[in-house]
Amino acid sequence: GVFAHLELLEAQAYKAAVKREEMEQQEEKLAGLRARVQELRLQRDDLRAKLDLQQKQEGVVSGPAQPSPRAVVEWKIKSVKSMLQVFYLTGISGKLTKRGVCFCISTAYEGTYLDSYHLDLLTKPEVQIYRHSVPIFIPLQQIAKKYLQTDIRRFLALLSDHLNAYVGRRYQADQLQEHFSDQIEGTLQRNSLCNLLVFNYNVSSTSKTFPFHARLLYRDLCCSLPTEVIVSCTLDAPAALAETAAAHMDLFRRMALHKAFLSFRSNAGESMD
Amino acid sequence: MDNGNCQVYEEEIQSLEEEIKLLTEKYEDNQQESTFFSDEEILMSITSLQKEFQGESKGHESPSDLKAQLESLETDLSFLMKFTGIQLRSHSKKTVERTGNRTVQKHRLSGNCHSLSFQLEFHLLEMQNKESVSAVVTDLNIIMPSAEDSDMSKFVSRTEEHGNLLTFFRSLSTYAEWFEHRRCTFLHFK
Repeated sequence: GVFAHLELLEAQAYKAAVKREEMEQQEEKLAGLRARVQELRLQRDDLRAKLDLQQKQEGVVSGPAQPSPRAVVEWKIKSVKSMLQVFYLTGISGKLTKRGVCFCISTAYEGTYLDSYHLDLLTKPEVQIYRHSVPIFIPLQQIAKKYLQTDIRRFLALLSDHLNAYVGRRYQADQLQEHFSDQIEGTLQRNSLCNLLVFNYNVSSTSKTFPFHARLLYRDLCCSLPTEVIVSCTLDAPAALAETAAAHMDLFRRMALHKAFLSFRSNAGESMD
Repeated sequence: MDNGNCQVYEEEIQSLEEEIKLLTEKYEDNQQESTFFSDEEILMSITSLQKEFQGESKGHESPSDLKAQLESLETDLSFLMKFTGIQLRSHSKKTVERTGNRTVQKHRLSGNCHSLSFQLEFHLLEMQNKESVSAVVTDLNIIMPSAEDSDMSKFVSRTEEHGNLLTFFRSLSTYAEWFEHRRCTFLHFK
């Protein structure tokens, strides 16, 4: 009847209104996005122009003719911060604190910087370690007992030697595991101090057997080369392998582990399966 | 159809925002690296900054904050130089590459450790990953005029070869002390 018809018209009108509102919202959203894109494009073009200008003024003091005093001071702050960052690269950096000094010992393997360790020291009534992030297996207390009161530079140098050697040994083991995993049986076994490594290996990556067994002991905790190396072959291995094992024993004592494995690849012609 | 448009705009917005961030960083790097102010200019700026304090404060650090920050940084720097014996005389860096999370800067450094002076150049590659920044030194070039004896120059070339910047500095103070000791001994016998 009439009511049913009216209801139908009402429902249609309602649906149309909803649809219209949706379309309007969508249009608004699109318009907003379009405006944002324009704004960003302008900003980007402006920056590109500024950079071009900088290139052309290369070698000349750039920027406004009269930089504000604030800009000058901010420049100096950035410049001093840069120099402090350089100290990070030298191995010992830090900052003075209310009650003493907080030293930061950085470590590296060749050109790659690795972990850094903090040592928060109090200087009164005597020099003491307040807080630190040195791992527990580094003999910190031993070194501190010997040198902290009497020769703090020597204390830091010795601690730095221990930390750099530890990090260097760990780096070699990590590199070996990461880049030569197909030549190692399973995973490399190591202790937390990374001064004892045990693994079975092969010189080629195609063989499925690992005839060599290596045990590297680094007795000198300030050194990242082992003091004792044992490389042995499995009992059923051919005699020629025994010679190779002996050569490797010498190699591992002289050369970083991952570099030694790298040298196997270049000697690939001599390898056996 | 409309959703498609939205997405296209949104993608462009994101790429523009990233580009703007990179361009801003490049611009600020260039500004920093191509200007130089002498100590007098800096002192003058600090003084005049304190005079104009009345007007400024919105969102910026107050002049006394800036002055305090600068003093604290300079105190730390001078402490480190005295403590380690490594006097850095000049340092300049130039951003050579800046993409995404990777920055390469060329550094030039000169200074001395006791009586041994040095000049260094190197590239520093820094990469931002999730939790930290990794740093790698390459193309290390060391000039040490006083490294006349073969041991020292062998050490310097081995260090250069492996980019061992850290080892260089760690050994420098030890060697400088020994060098100084030897020099004093010779003088004593002259």
